[in-house]
Amino acid sequence: MKRVLIIDDAATVRMYHRKILEDCGLEVDEAVNGLEALEKAVSTPYDLYIVDINMPKMDGYRFIAELRSRTELAQAPAIMVSTESESKDADRAYAAGANFYLIKPARPVELTTSVRLMLGEHA
Amino acid sequence: MALVRSSTPEVIEEPAGRPSRAVLFMQLSSPDADSRRSAAIELAGDSGAIAELLAQLADEEDYAVRQAIVSSLSTTGGPEVVQGVMGYLRSEDAGLRNDVIELLKEQPDAIAPYMPTLLADPDPDVRIFAVNILESLKHPKVVDWLIAVIETDPHINVCATAVDLLAEVGDSRARVPLARLEVRFADEPFITFAVAAALDKIAA
Repeated sequence: MKRVLIIDDAATVRMYHRKILEDCGLEVDEAVNGLEALEKAVSTPYDLYIVDINMPKMDGYRFIAELRSRTELAQAPAIMVSTESESKDADRAYAAGANFYLIKPARPVELTTSVRLMLGEHA
Repeated sequence: MALVRSSTPEVIEEPAGRPSRAVLFMQLSSPDADSRRSAAIELAGDSGAIAELLAQLADEEDYAVRQAIVSSLSTTGGPEVVQGVMGYLRSEDAGLRNDVIELLKEQPDAIAPYMPTLLADPDPDVRIFAVNILESLKHPKVVDWLIAVIETDPHINVCATAVDLLAEVGDSRARVPLARLEVRFADEPFITFAVAAALDKIAA
């Protein structure tokens, strides 16, 4: 079973994304900020990271940059999910190393389609 | 009797047992990041250093130094610090924005008078950050502010952030406004989910 880490400081968002992804048969874990996520990823790498931008301790851009700087984690896909909807925000996410950018709140079909795409599965 | 304002600027005494302010201010603008960081740490809690720390924060590009400056300003606290850092809620730098949010959360008395203005800011991102600040604000109006957000704010993500916090607070006054919010955003699955989760928590 593919493992996904949801990184968001908003409990409701984590619950919402977890429900959608578990319904797709994925194993889901959670972290409340980039720092906790990095500790979890170093300990046991995940197949995919779903990352918020604005979080305390370590924001989403820094988390993805840290991910990309580590040989053992650099190849894992990351979807950035943010309330920031301007094109420059998406540009910044891709520049930081994100593979996909979703605007909150993501609809279930948007999330599952992008997750399957990132995991190399057919939607 | 007329009050005559003194022309002498207020002198803030230097804390004992550390290098003088003059030395630390020089160090704060050193080309060496470690020196700047050390100076910022030494200036924690010194109300005579707020202006210099804020000035350095505006130009500082090193992440560790910036964090040290924000941490020191947080230790000093008070209205001058709050006024000085509020503008960074609009920063393009997510790390700095988040550090400032954490600082403002720790200054409930100083930030409270500004909350109505922040919650009415034209930029929805600033309103989201304002709701984030409310998270740990021990202020009697927090629930009223959050309810006003879900009743009136037109932006879904501002409302969603407020719902997340209302779920944590668990105040029963939010029940009817939450139900109205669900109707207002009837086509949004996330709001339906978030409102149900919040109502469950309130009922628990």
